[in-house]
Amino acid sequence: MRGVRAWLDERLAFSDVIDALRHKTVPHHRYSVWYYFGGMTLFLFGIQVGTGALLLLYYRPSAAEAYESVQFIVTRVPFGWLVRSIHAWSANLMVACAVAHLFSVLFLHAYRRPRELTWFSGVLLLLLTLAFGFTGYLLPWNEVSFFATRVGTDIAAAVPLMGRGIVRFMRGGDEVTGATLTRLFGFHVAVLPAIASGLVALHLLLVQRHGMSVPPSIERQAVHDPAAVRAMPFIPHFLLRDLFAWTIVLAVLAALSTFYPWELGTKADPFAPAPAGIRPEWYFLWAFESLKHVPPTIAGINGELIAVAVMGAGALAALLLPLLAGHTARARLAVVWVGAVALLFMALMTGLALSAAAP
Amino acid sequence: MHSHNTPSGRRSVLNWLLGLWGGGVCGAVLYPVARYLAPPEIPEAATQSVMAGSAESLAPNSARAVAFGSRPAIVIRTAAGDLRAFSATCTHLDCTVQYRPDLQRLWCACHNGQYDLNGRNVAGPPPRPLEAFDVNVKDDQIALSRRSG
Amino acid sequence: MRSAWAALIALALWQANGSAQAVDPATAFADDVHAAAGLTCTACHKAQGPGSYAAPARTAIAPLCATCHSDAGYMRRFDPQVRVDQFLQYQTSTHGRRMAAGETRVATCSDCHEAHGITRVRDARSPVAPLNVTMTCARCHGNPSIMKPLGRSAAPPTDWAASVHAAALLQRGDTSAPTCAACHGSHGATPPGVTSVANVCAQCHLRQAELFRASPKKDIFDAIGQPECLVCHNNHRIESPADHWVGVQEGAVCAQCHDASGDSAQAIGTIRQALDGLAASVAAADVSLARAERAGMLVDAGRLALRAAREQQVQARVLVHAFAAEPFNAAAAEGAASARRALDAGEAAFRELQVRRAGLGVATLLIIAFLITLWIKIRRLPDLPSS
Repeated sequence: MRGVRAWLDERLAFSDVIDALRHKTVPHHRYSVWYYFGGMTLFLFGIQVGTGALLLLYYRPSAAEAYESVQFIVTRVPFGWLVRSIHAWSANLMVACAVAHLFSVLFLHAYRRPRELTWFSGVLLLLLTLAFGFTGYLLPWNEVSFFATRVGTDIAAAVPLMGRGIVRFMRGGDEVTGATLTRLFGFHVAVLPAIASGLVALHLLLVQRHGMSVPPSIERQAVHDPAAVRAMPFIPHFLLRDLFAWTIVLAVLAALSTFYPWELGTKADPFAPAPAGIRPEWYFLWAFESLKHVPPTIAGINGELIAVAVMGAGALAALLLPLLAGHTARARLAVVWVGAVALLFMALMTGLALSAAAP
Repeated sequence: MHSHNTPSGRRSVLNWLLGLWGGGVCGAVLYPVARYLAPPEIPEAATQSVMAGSAESLAPNSARAVAFGSRPAIVIRTAAGDLRAFSATCTHLDCTVQYRPDLQRLWCACHNGQYDLNGRNVAGPPPRPLEAFDVNVKDDQIALSRRSG
Repeated sequence: MRSAWAALIALALWQANGSAQAVDPATAFADDVHAAAGLTCTACHKAQGPGSYAAPARTAIAPLCATCHSDAGYMRRFDPQVRVDQFLQYQTSTHGRRMAAGETRVATCSDCHEAHGITRVRDARSPVAPLNVTMTCARCHGNPSIMKPLGRSAAPPTDWAASVHAAALLQRGDTSAPTCAACHGSHGATPPGVTSVANVCAQCHLRQAELFRASPKKDIFDAIGQPECLVCHNNHRIESPADHWVGVQEGAVCAQCHDASGDSAQAIGTIRQALDGLAASVAAADVSLARAERAGMLVDAGRLALRAAREQQVQARVLVHAFAAEPFNAAAAEGAASARRALDAGEAAFRELQVRRAGLGVATLLIIAFLITLWIKIRRLPDLPSS
């Protein structure tokens, strides 16, 4: 074993990396439990790549065969039901974890200097995750996903000047057809993973480079109380706790897949009328519901356009947060309030949408 | 050897247990993956094509019923010797049609509907012809496939 | 729904009570096939004066139409395949015979085909197109004030409107469903005689007819002079047959002739039991499959077996017309076997679900054991330095 290691080390030169990791510490304080959410998101991403690759072995991305191939996976392939349900549940859990990760970073102000790039790459990764969810949702080609995609891509038409072009780009044409399926499939398994891999690599590199951020309040506390922050060795303390969290996520995924298997639905029929109560996945519900409550015109301009513009501005502000936020305690408090209001708004809209659909 | 009550002894027991359960968890993950990777008995969904048995054993002026996906289909060898295949769902009220060697037609027992060997509805209530499938024979195996377009 | 159609027929009758032609003849003639063929008013009418034509006498109408429509050489010019025996048939019909005897209250050509806006039978506007013909017949045959003086019942159209045939024709648009003309004939319209009505039904219900003729019932019915199909199924108000028609208890169809004391009572009872059992198995299989589907399991093979079971159930019901233990029992047994396969598929799916949950249980136990051991290990790690 030692010989093999030495042989590899001579060629890959990783022994200094291992040494660095051996000495690496992670701050341990009142809020350090939130550190695990990034790792959980990464773990779920890994699960998506793994189960996605397995699904790719049997899935067929054409309107004539997609539904039947998923049905085949779920009925004829041993444990196909498990792989498929894990992929679907893990997607939802990943979005939830990514959102939790983003908000914990926001509230603990970990976006501040020198971690601005980490924040930028992270927000982009969240948008990518949502794009993964949107593109993947259509792939089973069932009634619900077909109409949800149609409704979702319709919203893009509200963008001025480029709206039509964006819709055509997303749909591969004017309507949602087999061309849309193939295109979104290409995005889902090639384009988005390529971009995501690059961003994840950057994100992890930066996290390694800068280490874990300690919240300003803890830093202030540590001045007169050294026990407020302690150094936890990365190996083995942090890693073992990470492993603990990941194992719990695995158990949750297995239980969800067994007790709440993802449904097959009925095959999409482009010529059938849309069934009542079509709505996108839960992580888009807040936007969907907000658009429903917007008045048709605001000061003479199309209401939907205004709403989309506001959401776009919000997303841009979120992305540029480190550049917009101040450094004083008051500025940080403002960020906390804005974040809390945004979170509450999204939760409220999601709750409203879910309760409307419940009966 | 080392007593299991010394700190290092307890640690090694712990590590051993950890390895045991960890191995179990890994096995519980890898077993389904391994089973998944092995191709199933029927290698693909029977949407576009389905196998319909041996060609040789289908005598002239006889037919064989097969399932095409979840709907019934029928393969016929005409008296002249060529193979035809159609959906066996009658276009009148969805009964399953059968081949009548005496009439050399497809016949529906429900209301006496008849189709000729081109699938066209020629007598009785059926309003439309039967859907025809393409027939190919490879290595004595008959394969039916849906016509595209 | 059926009463809606009866109401429509009543409406047609109400309209018919007014004048037959509300439209000006010259305007109606513009749509006429005869006008398209180049014929004018004088082809049928004698001119009385400029723009004025006499209507032919009612008894003269059919012979008038026949001057062309029975001339094969003449008609061939307009349609090589058209039939030329309509007048011959009419003369054999009840309408024709009574008209020839001077009774003018019966139907002649213009009553069904209209006089001036005559369209082809296959034209959807024609009063004798398959979807319209029953309302045309009902104008007289459903009108008590017309039928009573002629000594006939006005019930048949309303009865027919309540039948499965009417539902097939008018609700599903199935033009192969029998209308008045299909069983009674159009030009040769005469009620089929007692001995021939079964031949009419046999046009579509061939299997049932063949079975009946091979059964002991045929000779019995011939001997007692009863029409075959009608005794159990009615002639106009033909409703969906039900399993409970078979039996010797009050209300069952067989009880019209059979009672509990005869030899056949046992055979009837066995058949009824088999039918009920089959219906119950099919229903149970459906419930089992639906339960599995709701729980997220897919049961395509089971659904196929259930479809086969339903077809075999239909077969068994048809085989009742053999009025014998075999081949009914064979079909019922096949149906029961298919239903059993479907039920088994549903149960198997549910068992598979239990297997999955058991597998999950094992995996979860392993995970929990791992987590506990890991937790202990984490707790045993050396404490963190204080600064």
